[in-house]
Amino acid sequence: MTGTTVLERPVLERPGALPVDGLVLPLMTTDTPDVPDAPNARDLFEEQAMPFIDQLYAAAMRMTRNPSDAQDLVQETFLKAFAAFGQFQQGTNLKAWLYRILTNTFINTYRKKQREPYQGAIDELEDWQLGGAESTTAMSSRSAEAEAIDHLPDSAVKDALQSIPEDFRLAVYFADVEGFSYQEIAEIMKTPIGTVMSRLHRGRRLLRELLAGYANGRGHGAAEPASRPLKSGSTST
Amino acid sequence: MTDCGCEKAKAELEEYLHNELRGDDATDIREHLQHCEDCSSEHLIGVTLTEVMQRACKESAPEDLKNLVLAKIRTVQSAH
Repeated sequence: MTGTTVLERPVLERPGALPVDGLVLPLMTTDTPDVPDAPNARDLFEEQAMPFIDQLYAAAMRMTRNPSDAQDLVQETFLKAFAAFGQFQQGTNLKAWLYRILTNTFINTYRKKQREPYQGAIDELEDWQLGGAESTTAMSSRSAEAEAIDHLPDSAVKDALQSIPEDFRLAVYFADVEGFSYQEIAEIMKTPIGTVMSRLHRGRRLLRELLAGYANGRGHGAAEPASRPLKSGSTST
Repeated sequence: MTDCGCEKAKAELEEYLHNELRGDDATDIREHLQHCEDCSSEHLIGVTLTEVMQRACKESAPEDLKNLVLAKIRTVQSAH
């Protein structure tokens, strides 16, 4: 908030804000080779957005659960992002912007395709309906629990992540793996920050329960099928 | 030194872990964790959860995908 009221917007536009439709070109003069052009959108996009492809692919893997859909999702995300790149405001958070497109695309396309039941109601459930009560593990101490979780194979962790409700999984993934702030997650998931916190809390609690149970099962000769067996060649790589 | 107590610490542990607390609150929790074995072991589990997830979720996009995306972008561009 500035003290001055802006009555008239300055007519000057930033040179970079030219419409990126290829029609508005700088005036052609014969001797302007060294003028710093409005940056070429494609070069800029490749330079700024492409480095996120590994991260976006990893997120897409957790979303779609298989490499082929993950690749399609990432490809679609980048094409959409490139088409909309003119609307991206330089200097703001490109990573969060890309994740918003990824998440939108996933929800609009792949969630429908996978015929997952509508999960909006999951936020309304009471804690006891979700299971995963605190400290039900038979571990002798919390540090032992932490150590056991730490020694679980990656496949078990991914398997546990896959098995929690999708909205929880996304919130947990965005916060814990990607390190997004709660505010950023709220924007990516288009949900109030309180919902983000609730999803995170519940998602992490379920995960902890699954992982501790899995570690317990292994430690005692795998008495319980705490986790589905992983099919080779399926989602986990 | 005033200890914020286990109740506050447990309630805010997750936000603390995610760096969502303001300076003063974060300091309170940090100090409490130094003296309280119960809460610090709880915190350790939280940290471990985050770490194993980060470890398990590492992926690299296939080279084919990177090349395909680049090729498509260049096609879009030249279509104008």
